[in-house]
Amino acid sequence: MEQNAAYEGQQIYHPKGWWGHYVFSQDHKIIALQYICVALSIGLIGMFLSLLIRMQLGFPGLFDSIDAGSYYQDVTMHGMIMIIYLLTALFLGGFGNYLIPLMLGSRDMAFPYVNMLSFWVYFLSVIILVASFFVPSGPTGAGWTLYPPQSILEGTPGGDGAGILLMLVSLAVFIVAFTMGGLNYITTVLQSRARGMKMMRMPLIIWCIFLATFLGLLAFPALFVGAIMLTFDRVLETSFFMPEIFKGGEVLDYGGGSPVLFQHLFWFFGHPEVYIIALPAFGIISELISCHARKNIFGYNMMVWALIAIAGISFIVWAHHMYVAGMNPYLGFFFATTTLIIAVPTAIKVYNWVLTLWHANIKMTVPMLYCLAFLITFLIGGLTGLFLGNVSVDVPLSDTYFVVGHFHMVMAVSPVLALFGGLYHWFPSVTGRMLDDRLGTIHFWITFIGTYLIYFPMHYIGFLGVPRRYYSNQQYDFIPDSVADLNQFITICALIVGASQFILLYNFVNSAIRGKKAPKNPWGACTLEWQTLESPPGHGNWGDQLPVVYRWPYDYGLPGATADFVPQNVPDEQIT
Amino acid sequence: MDKHQPINSEPGILKLSHAQVFLYLLLAVVTILFLFLTNAYVFRMNFEDWQPLPVPSLLWVNTCSLVVASMGMGWAARAAKANNKNNLRTGLFVGGLFALVFLTGQFWAWQQLIAYGYVLADNPANTFFYLITALHGLHISGGIVAWIVITKKSWKTDDAKSRSAQVSLLATYWHYLLLIWVMMFGLFLST
Repeated sequence: MEQNAAYEGQQIYHPKGWWGHYVFSQDHKIIALQYICVALSIGLIGMFLSLLIRMQLGFPGLFDSIDAGSYYQDVTMHGMIMIIYLLTALFLGGFGNYLIPLMLGSRDMAFPYVNMLSFWVYFLSVIILVASFFVPSGPTGAGWTLYPPQSILEGTPGGDGAGILLMLVSLAVFIVAFTMGGLNYITTVLQSRARGMKMMRMPLIIWCIFLATFLGLLAFPALFVGAIMLTFDRVLETSFFMPEIFKGGEVLDYGGGSPVLFQHLFWFFGHPEVYIIALPAFGIISELISCHARKNIFGYNMMVWALIAIAGISFIVWAHHMYVAGMNPYLGFFFATTTLIIAVPTAIKVYNWVLTLWHANIKMTVPMLYCLAFLITFLIGGLTGLFLGNVSVDVPLSDTYFVVGHFHMVMAVSPVLALFGGLYHWFPSVTGRMLDDRLGTIHFWITFIGTYLIYFPMHYIGFLGVPRRYYSNQQYDFIPDSVADLNQFITICALIVGASQFILLYNFVNSAIRGKKAPKNPWGACTLEWQTLESPPGHGNWGDQLPVVYRWPYDYGLPGATADFVPQNVPDEQIT
Repeated sequence: MDKHQPINSEPGILKLSHAQVFLYLLLAVVTILFLFLTNAYVFRMNFEDWQPLPVPSLLWVNTCSLVVASMGMGWAARAAKANNKNNLRTGLFVGGLFALVFLTGQFWAWQQLIAYGYVLADNPANTFFYLITALHGLHISGGIVAWIVITKKSWKTDDAKSRSAQVSLLATYWHYLLLIWVMMFGLFLST
């Protein structure tokens, strides 16, 4: 095998001892698990923070510990944790690491050592982030966008402590981790595909992760530069972003800077970030929908080009987050137009998923339930996005709960539904056991219906003009009392949905230990990760010989074949 | 057997090795990083409080030493390809030495500016100068770490050719950092 590995042009590292196997492992499967566990853990903290926010909104003043300051801290940390440390890390670090080598027929990532470093640097960034909860006056409460000047001034919640610094440092460290991982994913996709695995034979999820990584590598430097410059402004009192500021009649040392410059840097990263999260979700849905509907994906080439178009256009829409920052109307018009244009390739994808389902042999497995839920949710979230993409509609709605409803639908619930679907689908490949279907179905319905009960009402509250960043809505005449009732209802739903996530957690732990043994390819999928010698795949993935790929990844229901699927590594003459 | 064409895998793109693809992508990310800095620089320049700082003439000397460092690395790469052990070592030595001279010179330039009273927080032009030179210096320092590793290996072996791939990657990195420095230096001079 040693000789074989060299012959294939792929290096493979053989671990020594328990630490080498499970802790400082260079095996992509272990690293993926490490990413998933850390991301899910920090995600649980993020979910807990969201429940604290909801408690304050639904039952104002019930907890003395939630004052205005800590409310803003919770909001800030909830946003940052969910978007960056949970979803970005889980989709690219977790799914990317696990699936890229297995689906491409490779032994490991191109640079296993860098891959390992990537995880540990990510872990460090999480530690730094969590540390900010324990410093005096707590984490920053500047809002997840960290807009200066307020984010680095002392009057901001947590602003007189180290919270904002830890946040900025943690982001910079995260970006270093992501860059190491990302360079690795792209190199692996370009260089380490099994024979016959042409680019246009790659499973769509690999295309999605590949493009999302590109987006990340191009977009994260903007945040990196922004974070460093903001750190300078905070620590060294420079004035990159800081205008002249008066505090209690005194002039501070700042002067002349431009807060809008930070907004540009932030959103140049921030909008591609939406797609860094959305693209892997699209990919998971493409795999799952085709496999669980037993039908080839409709319009593979169109799907790939739509992805490339989305990735490209996502770099010229960023300022639609800044309509209310005071923008030249012509510029606003430009960004509104590009925002509407990006809906076209996105719609192509949705149509193709629906057409894949058309006349298909749909199996109502748990992953399929998640796919269907994703389609509906993403459609609704996307449609409200068309409202907000237009300047004249965005300006009155921008500071209301309509925006909260919109982005939670489109980039919180949708990716999480795809994520859960993906976890159910690939759990047997990781552990060799099936997840419990009954618990899975219960968890699905509570989560799916629950999220609609949470986020649908927010659209209505938003139309009433309820401002989204306020700690308390009680003292405003224009907000009717019914909003308070609705907020209570939302909070109760949120608590139920939050609690139901422990069903998933229990299901994971229980099934990993006691679950039903999974057959080698339980879903009858065509892609390579299910065609390994052993299941779960062993070290080096493919035993003595790398697989050879003869077909595209969606040969379901091939005419003339007895089985309703033909795996990618089966040549034409072996089809029975 | 050509190691870039492993028999059981699809050929990589453009017949590049894994490490080459990795390095080129890394350089693309580095480019974007400095592109954003340049963007921010030009954006901030148009505000009225901007007062350009005099570029110390020492930077010309530093630029020359970075050119020599880059040439040294390039020479080492060619020597490794030609399996010339002595030239490889000389090239690496010259390259590393002048890289260190560059870093020291940059640090000295900072000292000069501070001595003349152009401290970091006084004006955004000053801050940008320190920030950009510091980030470029960090990239050079990273290169020096790689240089130490590769030079150590090159001293241990007589087979210069076996080091060829690594040394040519190192040279590529160095040429690229020179290019970025020239761009940034041009930015300082022209504003």
